[in-house]
Parts: sequence; structure tokens; C-alpha cells
Amino acid sequence: MLFLEISRVIKFAVQSFFRNIWLSVVTVFIIVLSLVSISILLTSNILTQHVLSVLEEKTEVYIDLTKEATTEQAQVLVSELNKLPAIKEALFITPEQTLENFKKRHQDDPLIIESLDSLEENPFTGSIKIKTHDISDFPVILNELSKKDYSRFLEIEDKEFTDAKLLITKITEYSKKIQNAWTIISSIFVIISILVVYNTIQINIYTQREEIGIMKLVGASNSFVRSPFLIVGMVYSLIAVVILVIISYPLLVVLQPYVDSFFQEYSLNLVEAFAENFIKVIGTELLIATIITVSSSYLATRKYLHV
Amino acid sequence: MIKLKGISKFYKPNIYALKDINLDIAPGEFISIVGQSGTGKTTLIRLVIAEEKPTEGQIVIGGWDITGIQTREIPFLRRQIGVVFQDFKLLKKKTVFENVAFALESCGTPKNKIINIIPQVLKIVGLEEKIDRYPTQLSGGEQQRVVIARSLVHKPRLLVADEPTGNLDSINTKEIIDLLKRINELGTTVVLVTHNREVVNNLRKRVITLDNGQIIGDQSKGRYLL
Ligand SMILES: Nc1ncnc2c1ncn2[C@@H]1O[C@H](COP(=O)(O)OP(=O)(O)OP(=O)(O)O)[C@@H](O)[C@H]1O
Ligand SMILES: [Mg+2]
Repeated sequence: MLFLEISRVIKFAVQSFFRNIWLSVVTVFIIVLSLVSISILLTSNILTQHVLSVLEEKTEVYIDLTKEATTEQAQVLVSELNKLPAIKEALFITPEQTLENFKKRHQDDPLIIESLDSLEENPFTGSIKIKTHDISDFPVILNELSKKDYSRFLEIEDKEFTDAKLLITKITEYSKKIQNAWTIISSIFVIISILVVYNTIQINIYTQREEIGIMKLVGASNSFVRSPFLIVGMVYSLIAVVILVIISYPLLVVLQPYVDSFFQEYSLNLVEAFAENFIKVIGTELLIATIITVSSSYLATRKYLHV
Repeated sequence: MIKLKGISKFYKPNIYALKDINLDIAPGEFISIVGQSGTGKTTLIRLVIAEEKPTEGQIVIGGWDITGIQTREIPFLRRQIGVVFQDFKLLKKKTVFENVAFALESCGTPKNKIINIIPQVLKIVGLEEKIDRYPTQLSGGEQQRVVIARSLVHKPRLLVADEPTGNLDSINTKEIIDLLKRINELGTTVVLVTHNREVVNNLRKRVITLDNGQIIGDQSKGRYLL
């Protein structure tokens, strides 16, 4: 019985869809535009998150040890630091390693290498490399360290941390600006979509007015009269999402080089990311599309069907 | 079958389409409603099928007080009343069978029942032979008979017809009226709104005369007064 009604409602909905086929095409098109715009917003959001997390992951602070710290003291200190919950990793870097690293970094600069070699003694002290779980923990940790009694072994400077922090703030600000702009653009598209769907449903109701009049006269239930138009709305969103999925792949491929050149080593493989988050992305898009179509069909049927 | 108590219907800005109507129609009656144009005949029908709500008064249909009927209850009322209007309201792209089937489909009737009911109602109106024709392949009288057949699918105890012969010539008119009489004889209460003097005079049934929204005549074997 219920199945019977559903199949008849769907039949009526399909009829509505094809009777105004060009209108349906335009309606689906505008919904696709909205979804593309929202996708760009989502993508930029994902990219920013990605860049920030890579950046945080990479951010580490070296704390130089003073001359008077011995290797043993340094190792005790490192094991102490590793016990702190906010610290992800603390590592002792010996003076020799520091020298090596420094040479490696400046291997193209013969003047520096030469002058280093001319020195009899290693000019570097040992240092401790610290990584945290959360970059905003750095100031707290550094502040903690400078209070402890082993602070005399440490030369605490937070310049490196400050640089990283500055970069992150800048990226966050920048992406916020882009996202605000896209939020406005997307909202405009969504509003236009709602208006277009509303009008399309109104026209659908108008072209089916004879059928509707008869249905009501012979005692069709209100839900039977109304459901076809809600279903037509859902069909629009379903088709729009399918089209979005189809155009997503070539779109992402086209976009990839631009993203790569902008984000450089922090870039992300868009197609891979899309495939990984497929269900989540499609779910979100379908949800948004359905909200657009069902809310406007609901309003249109309420206004024009008097049910 | 129909009880109207002190019914008034006011339309903005300043028209009383009906004023203090009191009317009692017994089950099985065949009653004609006559009156000049704009006297409220159609308004009366629309109140009975709950297409409009009365400004004042009480309406009871078959024991059901529909005065304050809820929108979601209206379909149940409509399934108990057959409605026929002057403009045929058949779907041009559907055959006779499909037009009648559409009414049943809309109300959730299963397919095997539909296949059962349609020949029955088409037999009553005498169109079993033309089941696969489209409305454009039928005469005006035949089209109106399809509409009547469609109004019968729920086996209504009440049939209201608002000028069902308005567009028809006298031969077709007589056929339709005879059909309504036959339906009435099968036990259905019939309310017929008409302008046609001849129809009313030949019927020799109860006639209500409306003028300016009020009942000015109610005769049991009536003639057209105006
Ligand atoms: N929806 C409406 N809004 C305002 N006035 C209306 C409305 N429907 C009907 N009227 C008015 O109510 C009065 C009665 O109309 P109604 O249709 O009942 O007349 P009628 O007797 O059926 O006339 P006819 O014989 O021409 O069909 C008329 O004056 C009409 O103009
Ligand atoms: Mg009228």
C-alpha cells in the first residue's frame, strides 16, 4: 500500500521533471554552480588546514646549552624534558652534530667553511631540539624552562618559534580573508539557487494544475499531492551532485599546478585528498543541495498548493 | 444527508454570497438548486465540499460536522462526495480509462481494485465501449459522462453537480439528467445546480430557489420560478 503510493508519487514527480525539462536543466545547473562554489570553499579550508598542520609538524625549537653544561647534564635534562606532557620530543644535539649540520647547511659557501676549518676549537655548544604537540605550547614551555634551576645551562631565545608563529598567523589571516570572500560568493549562489528552485517548483505546480485540481477534488491526501514536488526537488539535488562528482576530477587536475606553485612544498595532491574524503565531501554536498531544494519546494508547495 | 444551519458566506470587500441559509436535505433525495447568476449557488456547493468555509453557521454532511474541518481531513470528506462541474476537467492526454484510473490512483487504490471498479462505473454511464478513447474523440455529453463516472469511483452517498449540462445541447442534456436520475435511484443523494428551466420542470423533484444569497423558494415537486 505504502509502496504503491510511493511509486505513484515518484511517477508523478518524474513526469513533472520532464514536462519542464529545460527548466529542470537550468535549475540543476544553478545548483551545480552553488555546489562548485561551496566546494572551492571546502577545498581552500582543507588546504589551509593541511598547510598549517605541516607547518606545526615541522616547527621545532633549538635551545642552546651554555658552555658549562656537560654531556651528562644535558642528557639528564633531555630525559626530564621528555617527561613533560606538552613536549612531543626532546633530543640532545652534541656540539659535533651541530657543527656537522651547520657545515651541511653552508656547503655552498666556501668562505664560511674555510673560516670554520681554520678555528682550532668547535665554536658550537650542544643544543636541545624540542617539538611540541601544539605550537601554541611553546611560550609556556620556554617560560617554564627559564624558571627551573637548570636554566643556567640553557640559553633561552624564542626567535625561531616567533618566526614560525608569525608565518602561521599570516597564513591563517590570509586564508580567512579568502574564505570570507568565498563564503559571501557561495551564499549568493545558494540564495539564487533557492529562488530558482522555488520558481521552478511554482511553474511545475502551474503546469500540473489540472491534475492537482482533480486530485484534490477526488480526495487525494495532501501528502500525495505535495510529495511529488518535494521529490522533484530532491531529484534536482541528486543530479547536481552526480554532475559535481563527474566534473570534480578534471577540475582538480586543472587546479593542481596552481595549488602546487602557490603552496610549494606544503602542497597537497587534490585528487588523492578528494578520493580519501569522498564520502564526507559528497555527503556534505548532498546535504547542502537537499537543504536548498527541499526547503524551497516546501515553501513553494505551501504557498501554491494550499495543502 | 446535508444540514445547513444559519449559513452565511461573506466575501471581501462587501459581498454576502449567502445569507442565513437553512436547508435540510434527506438521504436519497434529488434536489435542484436554481437561481439567477451570482446568487450563490456555486458558493453553496463549495461550502458543502469544504472548498470554502462558512463565515457563520454550521454544516453537517452525513452526520459529520465539517464547519471547522481541518485541512488534512478534507480528503476524507471528498472521497464521500462525487463532484461534477460544468467545465469537464478531464485530462486531455489520458484515455477514458486512464482519466478514471487517475482519480483512484491518487487515493491509493490498488491496481486490481482499479481494474475492477472502472468497468462498473463506465457501465453506469454507458461508456464501456469507449474506454480507450481520448477526451477529444468524445462528444461533450460523453465527456461529461466520463466526469460523472469518475465521480462515482468511491461509491459516494452524495453527488453534487454544478451546471453539468451548461455546455450541452438539449439531447445531451436529457441524457445527463437521466443518468443523474438513475444514479439517484441507485441510492445516491443528488444535488443539481442548474439554469435550465426545462430540466427543472421535467424532473418534478424538490427545487430550491436562491435569490441574492437567500432561499426564496423550496417546493417538493417544484417548477422553475424565475
Ligand atoms: N472567491 C470570491 N471572492 C469574492 N467574491 C466571490 C468569490 N466567489 C464568488 N463571489 C461572489 O459571490 C457571489 C455568488 O457567487 P456564485 O459563484 O456562488 O454565484 P452562482 O449563483 O454560482 O452564479 P452562476 O449562476 O453565474 O454560476 C457573486 O456575487 C460572486 O461575485
Ligand atoms: Mg455558479
